[in-house]
Amino acid sequence: MRKALVVVTTVSLFAYVLQFVFAAVGAFTKPADDGAFALHSITGMAVIPALTLLTVLFAVLAKAPGRLVGLALLPLGLVVLQALIAMLANSLTDASGGSTPFGLTVAGLHALNGIIAVHVVVAVHQGARKLAQPAPVAATRVAVREGEPA
Amino acid sequence: MGSLIAADLVIAVLAAAGWLGGGAAAAARRRPLALALAGFALLATVGRAVTVTALARAGWWFAAEKVLIAGPLALAAVAVAVPRLLRAGDIRSVAVPLLFAGYAGSGALLVTVLHGYPASAGAGLLTVAGVLAATAVSWRVLGARPSGTVSRTAVAVAVGALVTGTGLAVAPAAAPAVTHDHRYEAAPEVGEPTRRFTLTAGTATVRVSGRDVEAWAFNGQVPGPELTATVGDVLEVTLRNRDIGRGVTLHWHGYDVPNSQDGVPDVTQDAVLPGQEFVYRFRADQVGTYWYHTHSVSDVGVRKGLYGVLVVRPAPATGVDVTVPVHTLAGLPLPAPRTEPVGAGTPVRLRLINTDSTTHRYALAGTPFRVAAIDGSDLRGPTPLADTAVLIPAGGRYDLVFTAPATPVALFVDGRAVYSTGPVSAETGAWPVLDPLTYGVAAPVPWSRFDKEFPLVLDRGLDLHGLLPRYAHTVNGAADPDIPTQVVRRGDVVRFTIVNRSLVVHPWHLHGHHVLVLSRNGKPATGSPLWLDSFDVRPGDVWEVAFRADNPGTWANHCHNLPHADAGMMLHLTYS
Repeated sequence: MRKALVVVTTVSLFAYVLQFVFAAVGAFTKPADDGAFALHSITGMAVIPALTLLTVLFAVLAKAPGRLVGLALLPLGLVVLQALIAMLANSLTDASGGSTPFGLTVAGLHALNGIIAVHVVVAVHQGARKLAQPAPVAATRVAVREGEPA
Repeated sequence: MGSLIAADLVIAVLAAAGWLGGGAAAAARRRPLALALAGFALLATVGRAVTVTALARAGWWFAAEKVLIAGPLALAAVAVAVPRLLRAGDIRSVAVPLLFAGYAGSGALLVTVLHGYPASAGAGLLTVAGVLAATAVSWRVLGARPSGTVSRTAVAVAVGALVTGTGLAVAPAAAPAVTHDHRYEAAPEVGEPTRRFTLTAGTATVRVSGRDVEAWAFNGQVPGPELTATVGDVLEVTLRNRDIGRGVTLHWHGYDVPNSQDGVPDVTQDAVLPGQEFVYRFRADQVGTYWYHTHSVSDVGVRKGLYGVLVVRPAPATGVDVTVPVHTLAGLPLPAPRTEPVGAGTPVRLRLINTDSTTHRYALAGTPFRVAAIDGSDLRGPTPLADTAVLIPAGGRYDLVFTAPATPVALFVDGRAVYSTGPVSAETGAWPVLDPLTYGVAAPVPWSRFDKEFPLVLDRGLDLHGLLPRYAHTVNGAADPDIPTQVVRRGDVVRFTIVNRSLVVHPWHLHGHHVLVLSRNGKPATGSPLWLDSFDVRPGDVWEVAFRADNPGTWANHCHNLPHADAGMMLHLTYS
């Protein structure tokens, strides 16, 4: 199960890389229309949430420490936030639908939040790999103590 | 109002994130951080009470689920989290209460975003089940095992809420009152045609701003041929489809034709497939500026170029009479800029048409002007305007009239010069915008009572009734084809109350009728009577409009931002 956790976090990382690629595809598609970001939207609202849930599921099944499970869960919140930021940025336009400085500032948060999400997924991936390694006796004991109730 | 809806959403996100962050910090034994985040979340929760109160004052539609679902959840969150925070010895013991508050906030937020209107018991119960389940999982993962009674009660409540909520959510809604059969209205007799046109739809390559663009075109041109008539003419338009595989029709936007000529596939006729044709005949008894476009896969079809202008004049044109149909084809703006000298003293009429799916801003520089007509209907007592812009909704038309001065005049659309009589440099971006509800001379509303009232609450929401779940644009919580059909009787005076709960503009368009604007956001219209067929309901807006049901048939009633219509914001009005 720990191996499976490593695999699913690797796939997640790959999905995040693709997600950045799809963002660039959307930004550079000419002419720019709503369809330009279709791949980005589908990956962000279906593929990544599904992979996040799988990660959490495998983390729980692999009896990962609570910190790792919490960390694995975090991208779910960030993804919802990400969709909300996109929605807000798209709605903060002037009367004829043009972008405004404030709207673009909010849109900038979409990029920042994306960077944060990648860092979290990298951390989850590293945690999963550490968990999958055959640990020395001392390290195992520490890990067990961390998992114990406070 | 629109910004209030956005602000409320942001505060709700901050509150949920604060509680969740506080819970995570507490689990990691970061006491100061946990306390700071929890304090911030508490502050945001109090702030949310203010925004929700303001929304409720603007109209219950805006606040219902926030008061009925988010309110109790927020109270529960505060009631559980705050007392434990105050008497916490070990900060880790408040992790689960803080996470519970976070789940409650997140759940309420998801209700607003996914199925906010109407506030439903099903959505509320599913949220409670989700919050309890997430809390129970956190409890186990964090290892602080609850007592048997507590966990058994929580499981029982969660399962009960889940089952009841699911039952309520998937229970079949009231079936639409009218199912579309394929017996369309018969075409009425209109007499011998006096104006004949043939429009052949097909794929074509058209040249825009020096670039070749793959388009769908009528007679190989974008826009299609301009159809003109004089009032009293009988128009006969033969529509042929050469190679548009998804079918075409002609809808006469703003022209209140008999139902059989309205061009809505599967409602008034079958779509015209490649090799087929359909003949439209109607009497040109409405003067003014209109346009035609395909209503078959209208989002793609209109965007790719299947549209054109229809102008009906009271008499042959005098002076300069220019149509300006603004469109965005493959990202390039149409029409191409045009300059023609006009002699001083010549009367000029600019017929401005917005054939896009979003609002455009038009500014006429160099002369005072009057708005003579909107959506084809003449205004009463329009006064001269100068240095004032007009915002035309998707599908809408404004006729601007002026007497040509000796100096040049230019029309700017979103800052781009589209028509001019000579070189003009003007910065129009800061001009005030005309509010048509206060322009011109008022006349009393012709009705004192309304036979039928329909609320139309526009929002976004999760739609599970199709093959694939989608994030639809909804009316009263449902998406096409699940929105109940509005049924009226001939002669009824019908009032719509159109409420926009969403964060985007919805240009509303009822087929077959013009609606009289009664009020916007509680303020009665004080200008000339406005008989519109396309009007922008902005985020947070509440429009009251009315019309007399005098054109029997089954009519589309939809958002004219065509991707929105495609994503569910389309319903029908029919006569019993």
